[in-house]
Amino acid sequence: MDALSKLPDEMSELIDSFMAHAVIGDTTVGLTQYIFWMGVAIVLLLVVLLVFKKKQSESLVPQGFFVNAVEYVVEFVRDDVCKGLLGDTWRVHFPFLAALFFFILFNNLVGIIPGCHPGTGTMGVTAALALCSFVYFVFYGCKRKGVGGYVKSLAPSGVAFPINILVAIIEVFSTFLRPITLAIRLFCNMFAGHIVMGTFAILASLFFEPLLQGVTASAAASAGVSVFWVLLLIIIYLVEILVAVIQAYVFTLLSAVYVQLVEQEE
Amino acid sequence: MNVIGYALGVIGAGIGIGLAAFGATTSMARQPEVQGRLFTIFILASAFVEALALIGFVVVLMQ
Repeated sequence: MDALSKLPDEMSELIDSFMAHAVIGDTTVGLTQYIFWMGVAIVLLLVVLLVFKKKQSESLVPQGFFVNAVEYVVEFVRDDVCKGLLGDTWRVHFPFLAALFFFILFNNLVGIIPGCHPGTGTMGVTAALALCSFVYFVFYGCKRKGVGGYVKSLAPSGVAFPINILVAIIEVFSTFLRPITLAIRLFCNMFAGHIVMGTFAILASLFFEPLLQGVTASAAASAGVSVFWVLLLIIIYLVEILVAVIQAYVFTLLSAVYVQLVEQEE
Repeated sequence: MNVIGYALGVIGAGIGIGLAAFGATTSMARQPEVQGRLFTIFILASAFVEALALIGFVVVLMQ
């Protein structure tokens, strides 16, 4: 196969295009393409929320598709994530969790549009989000139990002496592992999904190329295979839309679980 | 060599998603009325397992 021999070069070019490149300035101080698309997602989110706020205040009953759709999503976060997990204190944590959900959702959805990049497709953004979540639940743990009480609550009471220290070490370790796993999960899902989509797009174009150079039987057969790659690309694209929503949900849900863990009574 | 390592990693994720699907289908057959709720939990569980396979994928590409 002639087409497949070109794949490694195209793949390295694809992976290189997914690394952070500076649009303005350089990569230490400046704007990479991921941060640019994150800004686009934030502007889009603001526009959607402001239009929703204006339209919602027009009448008491939600009117039309747009207002109902946004209300459905907000109620989903409220009922499914906040009320379901946090119980009585959901009102305190709802703003933070809803902000996380909408920010990640819009970043992921912007990344789905061909030609755009997801803001969450770079490690920096997801690490910052996970750090926000980490600081948030440690802060609420300290606020509820006091700093000493929170540190003491990491080690379970009622366990015999030598095991006690071992369990405490494991608990501290797992607490610091939480933001890392949150960040890596979101980043890997977005990055790997887009790499897979890009690979199928490259394969489709490579297999279609012979037909453009001249109509022969083998070129037509190769173009037939290219249709199969396009079909696979469409399937992966639909899966990616699903993954964009699920990953926003998973991130919010896990943040809610961590908050619930520090808030629960011993 | 990378590809073989990734394939070995995917075995674990495959077993994980298979177990999740097994549990979901068995309980759906037993209690069809909880189907909607179970489907959400199943998708959520597979998202967790899938993340591990994707980490392997990204590590293979990155190095």
